[in-house]
Amino acid sequence: MKRILAIAGYGLLEARRTRLPLLLALGIAIMLALSFFVVEMAITDSARMQIGVYAAGARLMAVFIAAAYVLSSMTREFNDKGLEVMLALDLPRSHYIIGKLGGFLALSVLIAAAVCLPLLVFAPPLAALQWGCTLALELAVVAALTLFCVITFNQFIPAAAFVLAFYLLARSLTAIRLISAHPVSGADTLSHQFMNGVIEGLALVTPALDRWTRTDWLVNTTADWGVLGGIVFEAAVYVMLLAAAAMFDFQRRNF
Amino acid sequence: MRRLWLNDERPIGAVPRWIMMVLFAALGMHAAYRASEPAPAAQAAALSNPPAVETLRVLNLGEPIVTSQLLMLYLQAFDNQPGVSIPFRELDYGRVIAWLGTALAFDPLAQYPLLMASQLYGQVNEPVKQREMCAFVQRAFFNAPNRRWRWLAHCAIMAKHRLHDMPLALRYAEDITRHAGAASNWARQMRIFILEDMGEKQRATVLLGGLLAGEEITDPKERHFLTERLGKLGGGENSTEPSRNRQ
Repeated sequence: MKRILAIAGYGLLEARRTRLPLLLALGIAIMLALSFFVVEMAITDSARMQIGVYAAGARLMAVFIAAAYVLSSMTREFNDKGLEVMLALDLPRSHYIIGKLGGFLALSVLIAAAVCLPLLVFAPPLAALQWGCTLALELAVVAALTLFCVITFNQFIPAAAFVLAFYLLARSLTAIRLISAHPVSGADTLSHQFMNGVIEGLALVTPALDRWTRTDWLVNTTADWGVLGGIVFEAAVYVMLLAAAAMFDFQRRNF
Repeated sequence: MRRLWLNDERPIGAVPRWIMMVLFAALGMHAAYRASEPAPAAQAAALSNPPAVETLRVLNLGEPIVTSQLLMLYLQAFDNQPGVSIPFRELDYGRVIAWLGTALAFDPLAQYPLLMASQLYGQVNEPVKQREMCAFVQRAFFNAPNRRWRWLAHCAIMAKHRLHDMPLALRYAEDITRHAGAASNWARQMRIFILEDMGEKQRATVLLGGLLAGEEITDPKERHFLTERLGKLGGGENSTEPSRNRQ
């Protein structure tokens, strides 16, 4: 446990030393500036527009920063042979993955907290808190997914492409399911039945990220606690799944 | 999955059993959780107002034509939202017109917004909404009569045959004659036949006579046809049928 915590701690230290906080602050400042710009242009509903623009933009920015950081950190570790030094020690491979993942999850919480801070001023505090919590969970899933992809593909570009594609799919899967379930024509054709089956199968293994971190919690009504409970459960299970998949691949790897 | 990338991997037996158990347990739990959720239900969302032109101008990154096209595609797709089809009559036509106007503001040469106004949204079986669309087309026509006359001509036909509002049809037809010099002859002559159908044969005769006296009609067959029509008008013959054929 001590070694797992040490690996996680060094992950956070690495983030601090690679100027991640500065990058994050810069991103938040740009999003804030953009939201104030929109307020200047808006004729009415300016508060709603400011919150909406900031929340939607900051969410994407946070996902991008978290994924990019995990990718670059793990790739550097592979290229610098730091991983091989680590594995030469008396350390189970699973502990290494758990430690790394722990560091990235802690980082996800810190990024979500930083992004959420301005919303505590603009939006109702409870709604901002709910939004921030689910953002942390979303970033945790993205970080775990990126870790899995780096270990599996072992290269930057395929891993980045997979993470991007997965994230886009997870954000749009509900709409794709609806379209697939109610086609304008050809509902009885074999090809459509097959595609509908594939899409429903994908839904079983993909979290519905479009229902997480919703801007309408900030500008309309706060989230139902039951919904939040479901998101917490799904995030926990999904991070566990991705961690196990990453460990599975990592255990089979020869160095 | 790693087999695609690397060949030097250890056997599956090298993976501790607890990792396999966690992997399959988590996969099963997630699939069960997702399967237990109710299937997504479609909800018809109300059409909102379009973003302000100024906002879109900032956000379009110097691509006004693409912005106009995307606005049109969004509007066109709105009546067929994922999983639910909204009849045109349930759309807020004030907002539909606002979207069409915004698209036209970004690409004044585009015919798409006016085609949708006259041929798509104007076809709804509700006179008030048909009139709203025709009024929009007329307003747009005055900004570029020579480019947009055919849509107003369509509205004139719609006013005559669907709304049965002959004065409105005549107003549109006269607008085309007065303002759209580049319009086809059939459109510029439309007012004559509308007048004839309205029973104002004297005005129709004067207009048709003036048209034939000028040099606007150059096609011999067309001149012959219109001369025949003028003769029938002068003779007091009912000409409802031919005028319908022309339109």
